[in-house]
Amino acid sequence: MSYLLLSVLLLPVLSIPFVYLAGRKSAKSAALLLSLVALVTLALVLTTVPTILNSPSNRYVETYPWIPVLNSNFTLFVDGIGLSMVIITMVLMIAAALYSINYMAGKKNLPVYYTLLSLLFVGLIGVFISSNLLFFYFCWELMLVPAFFLVGGWGYKESYKASFKFFVFTHAGAVFVLLGIGAIYMLTGSIDLFTAEKLLLTQNPDIVRWILIALTGGFAVKMAIFPVHMWLPDTYAEAPAPMSALISGVLTSAGAYAIIRVSMETVFPAVAATSFGIDFLHGLAVFGVISAFFGSFVALAQNDIKRIIAYSSISHMGYILFGVSLFPLQTAMTGTVLHIVTHGLSKGLFFLTAGAIMSVFAIRDIRKMGGLAGKMPITGTASAIAALSLGGAPPFACFISEFFIFMGAFQMIPIDSFYIVPTALMLIATVLSLAYSLRFVSKVFLGPSNIKEIGEGEKKKFEVPRFMQLAMIILVILVVLIGIYPSFFINLINTATATFL
Amino acid sequence: MVGIFDVAFPIVSLIAFSLLTIPVLRGIRKTGYKTALTLVWFAIAFSVAFAAVANLALQYYALPSPQPFLSISLSDSSLSWLSSVFMIDGISVYMAIMFTTVCAVVMIYSLFYVDPSKRPSERYYAIMLMLTAAVIGAVFSGDLLTLFIFWEAAAAGSSFLMLYKKNRSSLNATLKYIVMIVIASAFIVFGLSLVYGITGTLNFWAVKEALTVLADKTLLILAFIFIAAGYAIEAAIVPFHFWLPDAYGAAPSSTAAFLSAVIDQGSYYVLIRVLIFILVPTAVLDWTLMLAVMAAFTMIVGNLFALIQKNVKILIGYICVADVGYNLVAITSLTSDGLRANLYFFLIGGITTALAFMAVGIINHYGFKTLKDFSGIGRKMPLASLALLMAALSFAGMPPFGGFIAKYMVFTSAIEANLAWLAVIGVLMSVVQVAYLFRLVNYMYGKKPKDEVRIKEPIKLLIPVFILAGTIIILGLFPQIVLNLIEPVIRQLPFIP
Repeated sequence: MSYLLLSVLLLPVLSIPFVYLAGRKSAKSAALLLSLVALVTLALVLTTVPTILNSPSNRYVETYPWIPVLNSNFTLFVDGIGLSMVIITMVLMIAAALYSINYMAGKKNLPVYYTLLSLLFVGLIGVFISSNLLFFYFCWELMLVPAFFLVGGWGYKESYKASFKFFVFTHAGAVFVLLGIGAIYMLTGSIDLFTAEKLLLTQNPDIVRWILIALTGGFAVKMAIFPVHMWLPDTYAEAPAPMSALISGVLTSAGAYAIIRVSMETVFPAVAATSFGIDFLHGLAVFGVISAFFGSFVALAQNDIKRIIAYSSISHMGYILFGVSLFPLQTAMTGTVLHIVTHGLSKGLFFLTAGAIMSVFAIRDIRKMGGLAGKMPITGTASAIAALSLGGAPPFACFISEFFIFMGAFQMIPIDSFYIVPTALMLIATVLSLAYSLRFVSKVFLGPSNIKEIGEGEKKKFEVPRFMQLAMIILVILVVLIGIYPSFFINLINTATATFL
Repeated sequence: MVGIFDVAFPIVSLIAFSLLTIPVLRGIRKTGYKTALTLVWFAIAFSVAFAAVANLALQYYALPSPQPFLSISLSDSSLSWLSSVFMIDGISVYMAIMFTTVCAVVMIYSLFYVDPSKRPSERYYAIMLMLTAAVIGAVFSGDLLTLFIFWEAAAAGSSFLMLYKKNRSSLNATLKYIVMIVIASAFIVFGLSLVYGITGTLNFWAVKEALTVLADKTLLILAFIFIAAGYAIEAAIVPFHFWLPDAYGAAPSSTAAFLSAVIDQGSYYVLIRVLIFILVPTAVLDWTLMLAVMAAFTMIVGNLFALIQKNVKILIGYICVADVGYNLVAITSLTSDGLRANLYFFLIGGITTALAFMAVGIINHYGFKTLKDFSGIGRKMPLASLALLMAALSFAGMPPFGGFIAKYMVFTSAIEANLAWLAVIGVLMSVVQVAYLFRLVNYMYGKKPKDEVRIKEPIKLLIPVFILAGTIIILGLFPQIVLNLIEPVIRQLPFIP
């Protein structure tokens, strides 16, 4: 047995004190160390790709004993879905750390900032590679505490208020998840994802459905689906840009991942045959459509640069939930997981560009901007690519994944005619998302400038410092690359979605 | 063979040390090395006590065929069921170990908190040792009268610890506390007299046997109500909880830590011991629903009142009340998982409240009392705030702190016992708990302090605080350390088939 996944988890844990000590010397070295750790773990975890693609189970698993009394082994695994999530976590963490070098320069307590960032990193990796539900929850909550302090401590004016809202909302969701996990343990005597999946099949579906509701409701809070989205706009608006990128790119993705992994893959099969199972999927579709519409409409009406992106996040989580509601279809599921990846990267990029603009001009109202394309060429290009990707324009990443989701939806319509209306509405929602994306690009980057620093005939460039550019360029490359050549992720994810049901 | 000597030794040695403390500390005060010598003195006292308890535990577990309940009578005659009896079982051994350990840590804190060079401090320490002895005596009691005597000594005796500051509010709170304890004792004595009248004995085993065959249960119900009410007052179960936050809030922080970690958990231990194991197993009287309702109310009231508190110390007092509610949830399930959860929650709850009181005590010392005063304290006193933050996270059930595993076990045991509604209430109240705890954290880290002056924190006081903080992290990451200790208890439960 090799200790590959354990070292993927432990390497960031062990690096935490070093990150702190490096931060005491200079904040830059802490950020570089953190991104180096992320890079090494990325390289380590990528070595599992052949196993995932070729082994019969399509999984890479490691098991260690943990709490024998509670019948709980410490099992780590990656499959196509988990690996995709780990990859975007690492990439966004590298980007966020590099970006922070310039963005956070001059702020207070930077060693603590990078320490908390490493802690958040550990929690995120743990969520994506744990197959033990207790440890999954453990990491789920572990990422909440550093996120609270990162948003509160280094954000804009009302940041602690926002992060308090964020914490209470997501924790409220999390305790329902805990309840669901406890119920799974009580029914099956196991808290391993895959063992529980088999054992739940023999349980009474009337009880299992409450577990499904508790878990999905809890995860939906983290995803910020329509009625429980209230924490999201404030948090994104007040958080420092690297944290906005991480929360939107990875933390909400963790919610989506958990719905697919725990709610759908583990619990849902037990109720799939009942009428409740069908109703549940329809319910997910309805909430998905509402979120997509709500997010897009509000995003169209916003003038705050970060709030536009925040509401666009709600809208895209709606797409993902709609994709999840097509559960058994492989095309749709592959598209959904791919959308989590592409949305994470594009949204992360979008927030980084917004942060770049705000760090240079200290304004956040898009009506007061304009004409920045010539003044900030790299930021402008990156921002336009992110916006177009989120708007679903080819050849950028989100186009591919949305295309797959709609392919799945069209396959579903002949099977279940309920999906005609939601699919039609979702198609309209994509038009709306293109609308707010283009509005954003035209108001911020095109036309005459309304910024007072930029006078008539001003030749000076306002580009952000190197590391911020580097962070954005990394994400731009990935967004374009996945848009042109998505096969790597599609093959990877297909191996995992093929085993559903 | 475990003899009377083995059981009595930890209790007697602690009492002896307690009596010697006053002259010894007075002697120490005359020498130059006050703190060091005082520390040595208590190190000796607690190592002797700990060795005695460990000896008892080893002997008990070394028995060729471990009996569920080992009874040790003072007299060997045929009338032994009338005499005073000690009982040893897995739970009492576990509780004794925990109490001794926690008392030792709290004692270190008190040594620095209550200035040992001042006059009446030696009495404070002496009483603390005496109370430890009484609690350990209560844990090993084998008949209702011995239990009553030891337990009331501990409960009433702790009023002296509260009174140490001798100011108006502490006098007030102590008076309230004493009145409640006296009422509780009266209830218990009346209930016990009824039990004695029904069964003709107070010995645990004899009482249980007599009650199981009892035909007419009217008197028993009456006795049960009185005894349950009495112990409920002492354990601060809603609606008898109102004395606790006041008393803990007015007491010195070292006292509050001691009370929450030892007396509060001890009173709860006595409650379950009497109600569940001995006096009224469900075969005799079905009280599960009543206790479940009380658990729900205790959680709701404790958490909702904490939500509106402005004084941080009183807020933590209400968390103690809420913790009792979570404990009740676990035990109401009446399963091995429930008991395991309960014994684990005892320990974690006790340690966490003690940690919180200790950290708040350090901060209070500089005049910061209300939530508003706590604004920006995270920057002024980073270490004490870190400890309080850890306690808050553990209360909130966040990993990797012990509170997380404890709450998880409590809720699963409730679900297992088909009390899912209770688990849902518990979970909702947990959300409320997060709300007020994070409001506190928000004040500590999010608000601007009045001035940016960094306060020099007392390192000596922080050592015991961080011992406890480290303990809850270790127990959160490796709960099997304690769960393995609890495991033998589970197998000897009388109500598990």
